[in-house]
Amino acid sequence: MTDLLILSQKEITDLRRTKFLVVLFAFLAAVVVLSVVVASADFRIKISDYNQYVTALKAAGSTVAAPPPQLFPLQMLRGGIEYLEIVGSLFAVVLGYSLVAKEKGRGTLHLLFSRPVHRFAFAGGKILAIAAVWTVMVAGLFIVITATLLVVGNAPLQGTDYARLGIAALHTAEYLIMWSLLAMALAALTRGPSTGLILALVLWLVVVLIIPQIGDTMDPDNQIPGGLFASLQIDKSHEQAVMSHFSGYETTRDLVEQTSVTKQYERSTFAYLGIKNVYNQQPLSFIWAGTFNNTLWLLFGLAVSVTSALFASTKKTLLRKAI
Amino acid sequence: MRWTGTISHELLCARRERLPQFLLLVFVSMIAASAFIGSSARATVSNVYQQARNQGLTTAANPFDGLSPLYYARNMVIYIVLIGALLAIVVGVRSTLRDRQARTTDLMLSRDVRPAFYLGSKLAGLALFMLILLAVSTLISIGCISAVAGQFLTPGESARIVGLYALAWLFLLPFVALGMLAGLYAATATSALLIPVVIWSLVVFVLPLLGTAAHPVSLLNPVAGPTAAQTGFFALSSAVTGPLSLAEQFKHVSSLILADQQATGTISSGLAIILVFAVVGCAAVALTTRGRIRSTLRD
Repeated sequence: MTDLLILSQKEITDLRRTKFLVVLFAFLAAVVVLSVVVASADFRIKISDYNQYVTALKAAGSTVAAPPPQLFPLQMLRGGIEYLEIVGSLFAVVLGYSLVAKEKGRGTLHLLFSRPVHRFAFAGGKILAIAAVWTVMVAGLFIVITATLLVVGNAPLQGTDYARLGIAALHTAEYLIMWSLLAMALAALTRGPSTGLILALVLWLVVVLIIPQIGDTMDPDNQIPGGLFASLQIDKSHEQAVMSHFSGYETTRDLVEQTSVTKQYERSTFAYLGIKNVYNQQPLSFIWAGTFNNTLWLLFGLAVSVTSALFASTKKTLLRKAI
Repeated sequence: MRWTGTISHELLCARRERLPQFLLLVFVSMIAASAFIGSSARATVSNVYQQARNQGLTTAANPFDGLSPLYYARNMVIYIVLIGALLAIVVGVRSTLRDRQARTTDLMLSRDVRPAFYLGSKLAGLALFMLILLAVSTLISIGCISAVAGQFLTPGESARIVGLYALAWLFLLPFVALGMLAGLYAATATSALLIPVVIWSLVVFVLPLLGTAAHPVSLLNPVAGPTAAQTGFFALSSAVTGPLSLAEQFKHVSSLILADQQATGTISSGLAIILVFAVVGCAAVALTTRGRIRSTLRD
């Protein structure tokens, strides 16, 4: 236990001394803030368009007008969450890979394992360090997000909104820790310095981009700009009635998407933040009932990554694969 | 002779590298699969439309009536942006990093070889490698689309597919150059791979958001994204970021080449931007100094 804590502390000190963490945090914070700024500008344009529309209607003598666009502050985080899902996981891969690659590159593995350390102390220390680093980073990012919503988005946040942000932050930390640990396991299992990184990047590409892209492309409503049903002037209730005849296809599409842990993360965070309309302004118990399977799959992914990193980074494996 | 020697050596190395081959396998598989994914989506949409019509919910015409078989090539554009660009980066990084790791540049530059000549030859070798890869992908695409459409593509349609892959080659050249530059300038092997991948993610996912408020994930959808507003914040931001959004320019020109009915505008401006990126990338590689090529890695 002492070995584990010492190794973990050493890892955190190492990471604090490099510029990588600062760059990583600054970049993620910048893109997330940028996405809120853009969403806020987009909403202002919608309000302005609406006001012009109402003025034109009044000038024409009409009193019937569509309801004005409503601001749901947490919905402005859609772009930010998608950045964390894509770019954040990419950084997580690099962070996880670098923890093992640096030991291999510097040749410190032989020295480290010449000491009587416990079989899992090396891996455990790194896992603990990754978990601590991502927890702190994600907490920092969500503080930045909240501040941006309050200041730039001029959004009034309620108590429940903070709880929703907290739950989304927890999911995000789980997701990013998982990617770092998967990359760490791959770096431990490969001999070449960049082989592990390229393998991790291919895995990232398939899970984060390709599988969701296939699922997205299979969605009938994504075939036409603005949506198929909107172009056919079919409302939501009728859309569901029509789609009920295609349950087999929809189930297959859903299964394709569910094989990507990125989609599990996206579905649960989108639900808690109200980005998915069906969960917007709903109580947390309702959202949990609808998305607990996504959260559990995400936890399963995390468990798999912890186990892989733990067993891949043992003395035997690492020294066999050392340069 | 020296040109051909370096080019054939690059081709040999690119062929021998197992991991880019792995990425290549993913790319070619997705190119082959994309026609079938498009076919499945189209068949479902037609059935959904028929169902809606039978229920009396719409009188609109089927939006997919009379659609060209080139519709099935839309997903390929996305795979070129995602997998093709990453493959180009990895191939470029490995090419220059290999030399630095093996310290072969010292030996090479002890001969009467100018750095620009040497790097230009390496770039030409990789460009040829990408050309061969895309030529194979063209044949696979034409074959898969013909199989899905149940008919051979007309010469005009085939020419458009060839045009798409010719554009893809031009689009991938800056990424090859970016990878080579990262391999030459980065201090460590990790940062050599990381830096171009981060730049790629910026170009593909961040710049389009600034110009059009498009959500990052929606950029993975082959359907044309939102157009920038003509006034206010987005008019300004799209004017600045639009020309830098290389992937969006590629997607726009590709949709025009594939005769997508929803695409508007002309090919020339997008093509010119892609060409400028390719030329700048190649020039940056050729201008690398002797000292930089011989610099050592820290890991």
